[in-house]
Amino acid sequence: METIRFGNVTFSYPLSDSPALDRVTFEVHPSEFIVVCGKSGCGKTTLLRHMKKNLIPYGRMEGSVTYGSTEVSALDDRRNASEIGFVQQNPDNQIVTDKVWHELAFGLESLGLDNRTIKRRVAEMASYFGIQAWFRRDVSQLSGGQKQLLNLASIMAMQPKLLVLDEPTSQLDPIAASEFLQTIYKINRDLGTTVILSEHRLEEAFTMADKVLVMDRGRIIAYDDPRRIGRLMSGNGDNSRHPMFYGLPSVTRIFYSAGGEGESPLTIREGRLWIDEEMRRTGKEPGKGIPLWQKGTGKEEKPRKIKDPAIHMENIWYRYDRNSQDVLRGLTMDVEKGQLFCILGGNGVGKSTTLKAIAGIVKPQRGKIEVNGRLAMLPQNPQALFTEVCVEDELLEVLHGEKGTDREKVEKVVDMLRLMEIEHLRKAHPYDLSGGEQQRLALGKVLLADPEVILLDEATKGLDPFFKITLAKVLKKLTDAGRTLFMVSHDIEFCAEYGDCCAMFFDGGIVSAGPPKEFFPGNNFYTTTANRMARDYFPEAVTWEEVAKCVGDSI
Amino acid sequence: MFKDGIGESSEFSGFHPWVNLIYYILAIGITMFSLSPWFLAATFVLSWTYSVLLKGRGTVKLNLIFSFWTLVLMAVINVFFTHEGVTVLFYLNDNAITMEAFIFGLSAAVMLVSVIIWFVSFNVVMSADKLIFIFGRAAPVLGLTLSMIFRYVPLLKERFAEIRMGQACLTGNQKKSRIARIRQFGKELSILVSWSLESSIESADSMEARGYGLRGRTSFHLYRFTKRDLLLLLVMCGLGAVVITGAVMGKTTVWFYPEYVLRRFDLMTGLTLGAYVLLLALPILIDISGEVRWKRSGLAM
Repeated sequence: METIRFGNVTFSYPLSDSPALDRVTFEVHPSEFIVVCGKSGCGKTTLLRHMKKNLIPYGRMEGSVTYGSTEVSALDDRRNASEIGFVQQNPDNQIVTDKVWHELAFGLESLGLDNRTIKRRVAEMASYFGIQAWFRRDVSQLSGGQKQLLNLASIMAMQPKLLVLDEPTSQLDPIAASEFLQTIYKINRDLGTTVILSEHRLEEAFTMADKVLVMDRGRIIAYDDPRRIGRLMSGNGDNSRHPMFYGLPSVTRIFYSAGGEGESPLTIREGRLWIDEEMRRTGKEPGKGIPLWQKGTGKEEKPRKIKDPAIHMENIWYRYDRNSQDVLRGLTMDVEKGQLFCILGGNGVGKSTTLKAIAGIVKPQRGKIEVNGRLAMLPQNPQALFTEVCVEDELLEVLHGEKGTDREKVEKVVDMLRLMEIEHLRKAHPYDLSGGEQQRLALGKVLLADPEVILLDEATKGLDPFFKITLAKVLKKLTDAGRTLFMVSHDIEFCAEYGDCCAMFFDGGIVSAGPPKEFFPGNNFYTTTANRMARDYFPEAVTWEEVAKCVGDSI
Repeated sequence: MFKDGIGESSEFSGFHPWVNLIYYILAIGITMFSLSPWFLAATFVLSWTYSVLLKGRGTVKLNLIFSFWTLVLMAVINVFFTHEGVTVLFYLNDNAITMEAFIFGLSAAVMLVSVIIWFVSFNVVMSADKLIFIFGRAAPVLGLTLSMIFRYVPLLKERFAEIRMGQACLTGNQKKSRIARIRQFGKELSILVSWSLESSIESADSMEARGYGLRGRTSFHLYRFTKRDLLLLLVMCGLGAVVITGAVMGKTTVWFYPEYVLRRFDLMTGLTLGAYVLLLALPILIDISGEVRWKRSGLAM
């Protein structure tokens, strides 16, 4: 018997013309791992929310959603609470108590279990999830990844049979995201819990899924094995591709773009083996890389001299207080005008501190920072900027103290709406926008102050692949207009594809820097999926399109 | 050990929350009803000792300043507003300034200072967790509410810092007039409110998804009532009973007006005072023996 089953479900929100779900029919079998993907606003969240009784959105609904043999909307409250677990996007908003152990026990307290039983279950969960080391901590001391793991553990303590996760990793950095997905996979394998997961980062999720469900405008357009999804999305050639194709994992995209047939590889390992096989068939030898034992030139790489840089930093040293360690250690860097400059690196190496130092929020103890031109910074959470009730007013608010007639101001606002491609949303409330739209509204707000240098903090966090493409276009327009963008990011793929210059940040300074074409081939681990897959044959190909072209040409 | 104080890791803090709470109810409660100089001296000295033991040298200065001003203020104010008593010291604008009024002011001040200094150590021993536990026993919702407050205070602080930074980046760090700064602050506050309201919808969803609102909610805790808790509780109750008996017999009271009368120091007074001192000193004894044990185990290694 299936776990959950949608029978011809059509759903529309009040005051909306088009249905959010359109004749959706599918079923999920026990212990399956289902990945749901699609553009933002395609109905993923609406679909997932129909699986949990208290989260079913308000609106007009036809058809039926059944869990086991009962309608979800008629489920017993206790059963609904314990058997169906739901994890949402934002790690912070889901935590309600002050201590880790209390949060773990929250659901069990609701069910009215006695102290002894709760203790036992909590102990089990803490051990399974590796929480025991921070069991008695305050939740405010946890990292984002730990918080989301705690949310998951708190739900797993109620021993659900069905686990629904709505983009749980969108607010996490790549390492925490990967760890979180591995944990879900482990739950699915170890306990047989049915998992339904919506995700933007499909690289990893695809390798775990039994089936992938692709949605577009409220409809299910594909529900199949992950190896066959690429075939369905790629159509017959470049023009007939479904837009969702660009959201698939790089390995799959490269496979079909290069003319691969049949079932696609999913992991980098499979991708490499496939390229190996194809190359052997065409008789191409792997290129000779520089062997590890060969010494470098021994000369220190001199950073290229840039005339008239937008940002100039020289020998910056900074620590937060007297007795702590240095966060920035002799950071020296020049950023050329009119470029998108990307800083990559792990957590806690001093990337955000660098931004703060440039913005003048922290004052370095030693060194010199010069910024040529007006400076503005886009914070990580766009909500930190929103004050008004609609998008238009939000932009107009920046011009409040400026000179000029109202007419000129309105014109400026309209221009900005067009530049950010959010004209259709001018009357919407900022909080009703999706993550990508909020990001662009915030950017628009920052831009109205007419800065020449813009600092971006994790601008692609939580965005789906399509919004990233739109954002990249907007950023390109800005650099073409001579503005300088300085971005701190975890998103290797984005920086490789759209950055003009990338730099690796480590231990309080820049280790290596250069245009993506020189920067990434020089790295072994810290490089794009596409590059890792094909580096033996095409070391200079960095983005998936380049790799697909190289492979396609030689087959 | 005395520089920073023992803090939350003190041996007495390790006892069950009920034991801690009953101790403070007894200590503070009895302090509030005894104005006899012997008892005042005992509670004053011991509240000081325990607060310094827990919080370290830093708290001495704070306690001193606070005690001094309360003493001066209360003694002086009482002298000017109360003119009862038979021992007139001098006249001020035809008003009698009496010895008895001065002594009463002083005694009441010492009592108040002691109560407040008892709360200094109370704050260390009765951590948020223990309060949540005790309120949770009364009603699970109360405990949960308290726990949520402790969760949201740091979260809102963090969010406000982020908003501040975002706004600073938007407007630059130029110097602004006071009115502009107040306006800016209002704006930041308004962002904080709308952001938090928005995110509280998700919190509510998450609570309901985990069954909040079902009947018969329990309140989970990590405390265990062990033998030593019972032992200490019995000792405390025994000593408390002696002191209360003494108080009922009037051994802890004095008369201020019209003349200051201190009763004869008889056997029962001695017994009551002894029990009182021992009761108040229990945590100090327990903590010091705990520290000594730690030192020993350190040497043994």
